[in-house]
Amino acid sequence: MFPILSVTLLIPLAGALLIMIIPREDARTIRQVGIFFAFLSLVLATVVWILVAPNAGVMQLEEKYPWIPTFNINFHLGVDGLSAPMIFLTALLTTLSLFYSARTIKERVKEYYFLFLLLEMSMLGVFLSLDMVMYYVFWEIELVPMFLLIGVWGGKNRKYASLKFFLYTMAGSVFMLLAIIGVYFQTGTFNILDAAAAQPFAGNFTWASMAFWAFFVAFAIKVPAFPFHTWLPDAHTEAPTSGSVILAGILLKLGAYGLIRIVLPMFPAQFKYFVLDVPIVPIMAVMSIAYGAMVCMAQWDFKRLVAYSSVAHMGYVTLGLCAAAAGIGTLGIEKNFNAAASGLSGAAFQMFAHGIITGGMFFLVGIIYERAHTRELKAFGGLGNQVPYYYSIMLVTGFASLGLPGLAGFWSEFFVFRGAINFIPVAAFIGVLGVVFTAAYILWKIVQYIFLGELDKEKWGHLTDMEWWEKATIWPLIIIMVVFGLYPAPLLDSFNAAMTTILQSLP
Amino acid sequence: MFGEPTLTLGQTIGLLSPELLLLLAGLVILGLDAISPHKEEKPWLPRVALIGLAAALVATIMLWGYNTRVLAVLSCDPFALMVKMVALVAMGIVILASDVYIRAHSRYQGEFYALLLFSTLAICLLGGATNLIMVYLAFEFLSIISYILTGYLRDDKRSTEAAIKYFLYGAGVSAVMLYGMSWFYGLTGATDLAGIADALTGNLRPVILPALVFVAAGFAFKIGAVPFHQWAPDAYEGAPTPVTAFLSVCPKIAGFAVILRVLLTALPPEGLEILGGDWRALLMAISAITMTFGNLVAMWQTNIKRLLAYSSIAQAGYILIGVVSASERGVTAVLLYLAAYAVTNLGAFAAVIAFSNQIGSDEIKDYAGLHKRAPGLALILIICLLSLAGIPPTAGFVGKLWLFSAALDEGLLWLAAIGVINSVISVSYYWKIIRAIYLTPAETEERIDTSPALAIALGVAVTGVFIVGIFPSLILSLLQTAAQIFFVG
Repeated sequence: MFPILSVTLLIPLAGALLIMIIPREDARTIRQVGIFFAFLSLVLATVVWILVAPNAGVMQLEEKYPWIPTFNINFHLGVDGLSAPMIFLTALLTTLSLFYSARTIKERVKEYYFLFLLLEMSMLGVFLSLDMVMYYVFWEIELVPMFLLIGVWGGKNRKYASLKFFLYTMAGSVFMLLAIIGVYFQTGTFNILDAAAAQPFAGNFTWASMAFWAFFVAFAIKVPAFPFHTWLPDAHTEAPTSGSVILAGILLKLGAYGLIRIVLPMFPAQFKYFVLDVPIVPIMAVMSIAYGAMVCMAQWDFKRLVAYSSVAHMGYVTLGLCAAAAGIGTLGIEKNFNAAASGLSGAAFQMFAHGIITGGMFFLVGIIYERAHTRELKAFGGLGNQVPYYYSIMLVTGFASLGLPGLAGFWSEFFVFRGAINFIPVAAFIGVLGVVFTAAYILWKIVQYIFLGELDKEKWGHLTDMEWWEKATIWPLIIIMVVFGLYPAPLLDSFNAAMTTILQSLP
Repeated sequence: MFGEPTLTLGQTIGLLSPELLLLLAGLVILGLDAISPHKEEKPWLPRVALIGLAAALVATIMLWGYNTRVLAVLSCDPFALMVKMVALVAMGIVILASDVYIRAHSRYQGEFYALLLFSTLAICLLGGATNLIMVYLAFEFLSIISYILTGYLRDDKRSTEAAIKYFLYGAGVSAVMLYGMSWFYGLTGATDLAGIADALTGNLRPVILPALVFVAAGFAFKIGAVPFHQWAPDAYEGAPTPVTAFLSVCPKIAGFAVILRVLLTALPPEGLEILGGDWRALLMAISAITMTFGNLVAMWQTNIKRLLAYSSIAQAGYILIGVVSASERGVTAVLLYLAAYAVTNLGAFAAVIAFSNQIGSDEIKDYAGLHKRAPGLALILIICLLSLAGIPPTAGFVGKLWLFSAALDEGLLWLAAIGVINSVISVSYYWKIIRAIYLTPAETEERIDTSPALAIALGVAVTGVFIVGIFPSLILSLLQTAAQIFFVG
């Protein structure tokens, strides 16, 4: 059989290596090669999704080669209904980012495209790995290109932000490495699915809790869940536009993906304990939603606002997971099972929808910053007539972000709350308040301050509307928002099948 | 008396061929250097040295599979052979990296390469030494060469100062170690490691610990572990940079080889409870303190040689995790990490040498904009730094994976936890160099060129970093075979 997953994984690497041998003066060729390879991976990712879709609940297209046999470590890839859309999202946002960067990144083009493709490979690797060591390897590799993307092409505070990003993530993940090794000594395997089936540390509450937290904190920092979110506003604000798109669009999902793929199936009892008995996790989720949204209200820097909105939106993912975890043990009852599946599928849907919406949002922030050289919300006003095209695109993205029915963001919130209300009604209630705040900051802060009111003709009279390449970057995202908003079934079925499989494996 | 095999002279020579070839190559270099005209450039000297190393490496590989005693005080077994291979490859990189620097800084090139070869010989002897006398002699041999090499730039005050510090410190520690060895002899009547193990009994309980502490001091000095590390930063900074590269790697290889063999043969942990002298507790403390101290102090350094000196102190602390695990996995981890560390650290130093050959500075701030002045060099230096920090897919990551899993296998979660916290701390100072290289703009655009020999050294090192990092299976089974000699039978 054609090893399509390995090829998908290695295509960006091949592109990166090819870019390495192109002379740095030839920026045009470098851009073309970079975009071409990213597009190639997008085509492959689409094919993978189409292949997986009919039977999305099962791990498919598996490839397994021994890597370090003496330690039972394998090069093991596989996709199911959860990872296939995420791979598509990764390839799509990378392609759009590189396309957009072709006209906005003018310095050190060779390194930029090299690092970006390396970044894409590492992200694909995380979503494709079924071996924990491999997973960890890709998880860590991803830090280096992102760190340099922020550090070299970022804003004024880039050095501080890049180091903070690196140290935060690494500090979280090293304990995950110990937990991975611990799980291996318990179960004798690094295979994610087998290890979950073996329920490591099942009889030992203390050890299981330690392992649970080692994994959970690593992922919670990435998500990021309150109180581990403080690296995010800095990193996002300082990163170049495409860097923010990837950070918000995909890197955060790596954490959420780990929670769904590893933590929930491997430590269900602990997860349930820290959701119901000692409700730390729901508090984190609710705080992320409510606190994140409230902080958004107080921001005057457009990019920082969007960054904090990610904290709030990713809180829904955690909340959906909490709903599923709370239902463990009572999943035999059909109503509970449906609610848990709904919460979990909603969480997965939110991963995808948030990637598309916030990715688009960061592009839009970048587009206006390129022209105005400021992100100060108070500095704008009345741009609606000056840049009507941009205004309308922003409205659609903004409405998707606040969860307007008919756009992709609605379904994730709907399903998350449907699950949460069944098991953790108080958390669900507070979480719903977050939705209200979201509407407030999108309408009040973004729409009103930028687009409505008096236009300062002298200051903003020169602003031009979106160029063709900016439209070309944003339109695919708008189309996806609308299509999956009106007809979520293909995406939802895919997630639902995978989530049902995970839930059925739980005790 | 310990199953000494009867070997013919030919067999003995065969088993000692790596050592003899090194000796021969060193003497040939001295002779050729003496008879060739004094004023000449002599670019062939390092080549002769490399041929000697290559010959010794081939001889070592041919001996693979032997497991026998030679001349009563040496052992030719997979462990010793593995140590020799790592040391020979490491020394090859050192010699490649020395070429231009030594030609520019010293008139005494022949002696330099001869001394490097003799020090390799000392490491090879230490890898196989099974007798305390042999251990001591080879240790001293290696130490004295190290002092000379440190002070090799005799007109340079810092070099001389570093050598004197190193020498005074080393002489003191060496005396203490010899004193400790005499205790062992007094207690057991044996200097042979296996003989000591046989003679140790429960009623020696009160005196084992002091004897052990004295001997351990000598070992700690060689690997640069706290509290016997103070010589390292000064010696590293003052020594000619190729010698610093040598000091940061080669004595450590020898030191860890000896630590493993002496402790696991003479004082195997399973018998130690009755003796009360558990060296594992002692080394655990040293390990934890060494890595934490090295990393914390490294954060304040502004000179790259000093920074790498403290980083290498910390690295010794990591490796000790494998030693205290005292299991087959632990010994494999030590050997794996030593190999990974050797190529990584020598790669980093080769880059530092290439930089200082042209710029003449070791200050981190002068590395600003290196990515523009020498893109290849910058990339290799960063890869090596990431490997030192333990970021995949480099050798350093695989090494750490093995060390930490060895610790967890023995239930030493706390030590592994200190290890991983230290990996995070270390990122913050490796980052200082990366920041200068990639994030800070250059003051000049002047290109930095790398000599062919250095380019080969860098290439070998970075290839090693990726081979060990991505395909560790290529060497793992050999390392396991080497580790097994302490645990089978």
